[in-house]
Amino acid sequence: MRGVWAIARKDFQSELRSKEAINASVSFALVILLIFSFAFEPTADETRAIAGGLLWIAFAFAGALILNRSFARELQNDCLDAVIASPIAGWELFLGKALASFLLLLVVELICFPVFSIFYGVNLTKAFWPLLLVLILGTWALTALGVTFAALTVNIRLRELMLPLLLYPALSPALMASMTLTTSLLTAGVFGANDQPWLRLLVGFDVIFTALALALIEFVLVL
Amino acid sequence: MDKRNFLYLFYGLTLAWGLLAAYLFILMQRSRKLRAEVDRVKRMVGDNER
Amino acid sequence: MSKREKWVYALGVSGTVLLIVNLYRILLVLGDEMQQGAIYRIIYFHVPAAFIGWTLFLAALVASALYLWKKDLAFDGFAASAIEVGWVFCSINLVTGMIWGRIIWGIWWTWDPRLTSMFICWLLYGGYIVLRSAIDDAGQRATVSAVLAIFAFADVPIVFMAIRWWRTQHPSPVLETGGLAPEMRLPFWLNVFVFLLIGLAITLVRVDQEDTQRELEGLRRRAF
Repeated sequence: MRGVWAIARKDFQSELRSKEAINASVSFALVILLIFSFAFEPTADETRAIAGGLLWIAFAFAGALILNRSFARELQNDCLDAVIASPIAGWELFLGKALASFLLLLVVELICFPVFSIFYGVNLTKAFWPLLLVLILGTWALTALGVTFAALTVNIRLRELMLPLLLYPALSPALMASMTLTTSLLTAGVFGANDQPWLRLLVGFDVIFTALALALIEFVLVL
Repeated sequence: MDKRNFLYLFYGLTLAWGLLAAYLFILMQRSRKLRAEVDRVKRMVGDNER
Repeated sequence: MSKREKWVYALGVSGTVLLIVNLYRILLVLGDEMQQGAIYRIIYFHVPAAFIGWTLFLAALVASALYLWKKDLAFDGFAASAIEVGWVFCSINLVTGMIWGRIIWGIWWTWDPRLTSMFICWLLYGGYIVLRSAIDDAGQRATVSAVLAIFAFADVPIVFMAIRWWRTQHPSPVLETGGLAPEMRLPFWLNVFVFLLIGLAITLVRVDQEDTQRELEGLRRRAF
């Protein structure tokens, strides 16, 4: 377990110092929110009905920037070889990297939240804690799959293109669940009757893909 | 019986088998290219070892 | 002629002969379905294509897991071939479905559960094919794509379940018809069999290419 914290702290700290990915990711998310305002009437009631969808599209796209950096940051000076050769197990490396990316994504999302609520006239405080739960579950789904696919694609050409191409179709069930749950929280303020299966699906997705990633990451890393 | 239906059935079947035929064509071409390349490299290897 | 080539010819020829017999029966002997008219015949191609696509994806999953276990590149070659051919059958399924939908629903596409989940799977395995083309080193390509094949197949049931909930809140435009009429059952399953033969023949051709590719890489290493 100590390896997990070491990797997570290293990644998180070096990102906070350079702020490379986080700046790009936040500005990208804001640009997406701006572009959505052209496509829909931002303050109309219909927009509130698709607010969850808009928010998660912005998070998913902005998230790819952070996830791409997760393993790519080790490419300089052959750090990746050093990390793999270090006495840290594969699953520890994966969990550490995932934890760091997860925290960074949460920071980006928590910055975007108030901006979104101001621009689109959505009240977030009404159901803040359930919303945070959905945010955590959805973001973990995004990171668990995203970090695994980042590890898969780190050594290949077109890395930046391949990650989103593989990630979004595979992520679609989790995105659907997060969007539905967020929308119903933003409109009704509580989980509706139809939301229970979605919550279960999201938890199940997290568990299945975290387990699969932990089981298979060793194969990916020893290339 | 409606004539339009048959037209679309024709389109459907043509597309289905057309897709398969197109894929087969691509496969054949790839095979031919591979075989030519194998021959070329074999000749090169033969030259080197002589 | 190698043993594998003989198999390809045997499967291909028997598949084609059976197909012609079956096509004759489907197009000229069988009557129209009561509600849908002539167009219902697309089901004889639409559904078997999906069956064979899934069979090949499943075979690829097994081969990928075997590759990770045994590290034998032959498994990787088979998995890649099966997924590529399965993807072609998946495309056939989507295209024929769209043409059927144009007649019966009046629209080319609807975001119905089955259509959407099939489309997502098509994208997933399409990503697999693109990913393979982006990696040069054979061992790395095999490992990466084997892991991806396992992830993709694990995703499929979840996608299908999610999409069902997503859309069933709306009335779906599909009127599920009951089972097939008895006289349609035989040609239907015969066509599934025909597709299986043809799919296997093509997969074998593709496997052969993967072998040649490996041989080529070995030769190149000797040459340079």
